[in-house]
Amino acid sequence: MSLRERLAEAAIFLAAVAIVGALVHLIVILVIPVVATRDAFARLEELGLVDETIALPRPSPSERRFPYADPALASAFCRFDLAAGPLRVTAPVGRAGFASLSFHTRRGAVFYALTDKAATHGFMQAIVVTPAQLRALAAHDDEDNPPQDLRIVSATNEGFVLMRAFSELPSLYAAAEEQVKSLSCAPEPMPK
Amino acid sequence: MFVKASVACAIGLALGLWASRAILAGGAPFGVVDIGAWGVATKAGSLEADPYTRASLERSGEIPLALGEGLQLVARVDDAGRPLDARCAYRVGSRTPAARYWTLSLVDRDGLPVDNAAGRYGFRSSEILRDADGGFSVFVSAKAHAGNWLPIGAPAPFALALRLYDSPLSATAGGIEKSAAPSIVREGCA
Repeated sequence: MSLRERLAEAAIFLAAVAIVGALVHLIVILVIPVVATRDAFARLEELGLVDETIALPRPSPSERRFPYADPALASAFCRFDLAAGPLRVTAPVGRAGFASLSFHTRRGAVFYALTDKAATHGFMQAIVVTPAQLRALAAHDDEDNPPQDLRIVSATNEGFVLMRAFSELPSLYAAAEEQVKSLSCAPEPMPK
Repeated sequence: MFVKASVACAIGLALGLWASRAILAGGAPFGVVDIGAWGVATKAGSLEADPYTRASLERSGEIPLALGEGLQLVARVDDAGRPLDARCAYRVGSRTPAARYWTLSLVDRDGLPVDNAAGRYGFRSSEILRDADGGFSVFVSAKAHAGNWLPIGAPAPFALALRLYDSPLSATAGGIEKSAAPSIVREGCA
């Protein structure tokens, strides 16, 4: 075998390695979100039931479940499943400080968020619906007296709502914690 | 021929798995906008996040901030581009991009607070000591420092996380001027 042939063979071998490697890498990256069992939703699932408001522990070195959580913020969440019907989310805003609600898909991506600036009468409020439920609700709307509710469409049945509240001082953290514990997620009856 | 093909497949498989792991261990490689020493994953929480960002979030369990809530900037290097070193002291300041509130905290490689004797994991804009002109300096060091001291609790690589809450910049993260982000200046090493 000539040197030239050997080089050609080695090049083909390396190319084959690179192609297989690239393929494996692509598949791994695309498959991780589908098979991940330690994603945020799975971690929240361990903490409580659907529609239940659960306060997250204060971020600290010993609390390893949710990285990049801000120690100045208190948070609470509830998981939802719209298969049973729409969900009404109500959260009180504090006298001072920042508070927000974010609506996440089963995969963790945010599909809507609002802050205390969008609060009315001291509450952030919204109804989470599926596209089908939105159509059903809209069919029953009174045109002369349109409903005031903010309706947020979720593409998936499952997901979670996270409430965050900012504490202006370390001594106010307990108050922020009380505030996020008042997050309420309740099934909303469909009109008959 | 068959043996060679199998060997190529085996090496390729190992290489692919290793590369995936190595890339995700360093956080998501794409969609990060650099502002000086700071990086912002602008699409992290959104439905349009790229597959790498998504895979990285799925693995870590992080619940990202939505754009409407605020922005998270993470720095792993100082202004000169050198990785943040636990043996060195840094001064961070003196301004931040506009926001209703901001917090600056120290985290380890995995994004978790680092235990320290002072029990101090970060500062809020509402509690920080300010200069006469409204600016601020946070001293990041292992040894205690007068003023706003953010302790480096462990001799390990660390990162700084700056969160801007209710920031008008949220929707245009790419438009933050480098001069608006706090500088990270190394002041000496032990």
